[in-house]
Amino acid sequence: MPAGLRLITQRLIDLLFILFGVSILTFLMIRLIPGDAVQIMLGANAEITPERVEALRAQVGLDRPLVEQYFVWIGDLLTGQFGTSLWTGRPVIEEIGAAAVVTLELSLLALALAIVVAVPLGCLAAYARASWLDVVVRVVTVAGITIPSFWLGIVLLLIVFAVAPGMQTFGYVPFVEDPLGNLQIMALPVLSVALPIVANLVRMVRTAMLDSLGQDYVRTARAKGVGESRVVLVHALRAALVPVVTSIGILTGYLLAGSIVVEKVFTLPGLGRLVVGAIEERNYPLLQTSILLVTATFVLINFLVDILYTVIDPRIRR
Amino acid sequence: MRKTLTLAAVTAAASTAAAAQTIDVGTTASPVGLDPHVATAFSTKLITDAVYEGLTAIDTDLRVIPSLATDWSVSEDGRTYTFTLRDGVTFHDGTAFAADDVVASIERVLDPDTGSPQASRLELIETVEAVDDATVQIVLESPSAPLLGHLANIAIMSKDFLDAGGDPQQTPAGTGPFRLERWVPDTALELVAHAEYWEDGLPRAEALTYHIVPETATLQLGLRSGAYDLLPTADIASVVSLEGQPGIETLSTQELSYGLIGFNAAEPPFDDARVREAFNYALDRQQLVDVVLFGRGQPGAPLSPALVDWAMPGDSFACLTRDVDAAQALLAEAGYADGVEVTINVLGILPQIVDLAQVVQAQVAEAGFDVTLNVQERGEFIQDWRNSNFTAFASLNGGSIDPDGTFYRTFRSGGSTNVFQYADDAVDRLLDEARIGTDPVARKAAYDELQGLLACTGPIAFLTFADLHALTRDGVEGFALHPTRDMRALRTTAVPAD
Repeated sequence: MPAGLRLITQRLIDLLFILFGVSILTFLMIRLIPGDAVQIMLGANAEITPERVEALRAQVGLDRPLVEQYFVWIGDLLTGQFGTSLWTGRPVIEEIGAAAVVTLELSLLALALAIVVAVPLGCLAAYARASWLDVVVRVVTVAGITIPSFWLGIVLLLIVFAVAPGMQTFGYVPFVEDPLGNLQIMALPVLSVALPIVANLVRMVRTAMLDSLGQDYVRTARAKGVGESRVVLVHALRAALVPVVTSIGILTGYLLAGSIVVEKVFTLPGLGRLVVGAIEERNYPLLQTSILLVTATFVLINFLVDILYTVIDPRIRR
Repeated sequence: MRKTLTLAAVTAAASTAAAAQTIDVGTTASPVGLDPHVATAFSTKLITDAVYEGLTAIDTDLRVIPSLATDWSVSEDGRTYTFTLRDGVTFHDGTAFAADDVVASIERVLDPDTGSPQASRLELIETVEAVDDATVQIVLESPSAPLLGHLANIAIMSKDFLDAGGDPQQTPAGTGPFRLERWVPDTALELVAHAEYWEDGLPRAEALTYHIVPETATLQLGLRSGAYDLLPTADIASVVSLEGQPGIETLSTQELSYGLIGFNAAEPPFDDARVREAFNYALDRQQLVDVVLFGRGQPGAPLSPALVDWAMPGDSFACLTRDVDAAQALLAEAGYADGVEVTINVLGILPQIVDLAQVVQAQVAEAGFDVTLNVQERGEFIQDWRNSNFTAFASLNGGSIDPDGTFYRTFRSGGSTNVFQYADDAVDRLLDEARIGTDPVARKAAYDELQGLLACTGPIAFLTFADLHALTRDGVEGFALHPTRDMRALRTTAVPAD
């Protein structure tokens, strides 16, 4: 078997094991934390007798043994039945799908913005090392890394409210219904999610570029009389991209974490809010399945990043 | 060019009109299902109050008034209630409201398979039957003064809908002023006016949208920018920061629910009545009001001052005024001269309760209580509360318009929310007497005596009654805050044109 193919097969097997573990973990965790769906539904303050609680538990299917509940869930999943949300009664997959679209839009826009801003800025800072530009970039990026995105979100909301009170910043409209309104609403959340990533990425690009600009092959290229822009953009940047791509992969994971708080601040109906809401309401079917799907996506992204290395840097294939 | 302008003007006018007639409500929590017989969490009630109605209703002065029943009579022995039903009422699904629907709804609440927490409010009902289409008769095992008040909270559902296997958790089918149109999970619930609503001219608004906004800072901004018209349950911090801002109005009323410390009366140290009394003496309730509630509220007592006909003022009871010496003496008498360590479970989702618990911790320390606060997540708290797995806890308890509503289930030995495992013969006897008594004077005397018994050595230290606040945009009319947090006033609410 060729080395590349073996790598891919190995990663795929790992992936299955990870998903199996995660399915058990999420299933158990939501059930091991005290308080179940029925108690949440009743509130802290109701006139409840234990018999009534039992009757409700039976309605929701919580009276069956844990092992049975798990296998029913997994069995359904494998046959393509994702179950229904406890409270709205709608198919879980529909609710996750709707939320995923929002988070995906938020993440992709933020990532695109981050790459477009960070890569040139990082290159410039590295190329003009120790100049005033480099110093400014370094100071600003430290601030960008340390500012929490939910705080940034609230501050952005306040600024927009003071400067342009007419701008649509509340609620959510899908892109297909109203593209302009959608982009208006997404602008601030994207900015709040993107800023810490820009800051991280700029520093990453700068360091990687500094490293590769000092390499022998760059000097060789210059000695051969290759043009300066070609030296930087082709010879140095390409080698610098490997660590950058790795960190973009990892940052994509952080995007999801960041979007949980940002979605809360901007009331976006994305995956982050879906998951947090499902935990608070003990919406078991919704939570289990969404965590599993999110994990699968995350693992898959890492898998693709691994593959991407081999494309960028042929040395890894060996 | 001229044509385009006119068209633009028309479009603008149309969208203003549409916006003007929707009440945009901002709230922090998603409902946990929409079946008011089953889901008693406030996040659900906020919505079902606009969708369902009971036979009776309760006005803002806490009097029982007609709703789906226009009139009722009570037999001499106080056991038979005959209700005359309102004519011309239509359910959201188009069926006509009749006596069968009342019978089906009450029977559904009483059915053990429903698991309704409201069943205990109706447990004295022996039979409920439709005399004719417009008359319902309820016969009780024994007289029950609070029945009419309780019926206000029993939602009447369409029998046809229930018979057809409809699930009210997802599809509400009431007679109320608004009908659910769309539920976008974690985002919004969109309701529209019920065209065949029985009262002419109501609801005043054409639509009602609940926006689910978990972040308070966002709610505040949304109100200021006009995205939301009404925050029906504004937290005190929001009120303090928004009050006096141009374009914002604050509504306040006295609330029935109260912050409390509950004691486990079956375990040391609080199994000793002297320790419970000492804890009461150690508290400075006015300070709690000033510090935690920003002065917006009343010091705690067994009954809310909003219950003007029943409540005894807090200064009727010595132990509700701070006296550290008395507290220390009582503790010493109980064998804790060197102080006592206690852990208090705290309901963590309510910031106000966490704040109260922290100030209480500091106050009682001076009398010798060494308090550890165990701030818990909601589900964890409820589980420990339900299982009496606590030494003490800090939480918020709802009130009711008749003292029986909360007293009986909370303090009667074996009562459904007597998680304190409190049992006192004198208290039990008085609770039973007052529950079946129909003579208002005798009931008042019984509840006066009960307040005396519960104030100092009962299983609860009553901390504070917070004022309830709502924030609205200028020009929102006809909304009134209700001491029970009932949202009935949404039907008379109108919002300004933007």
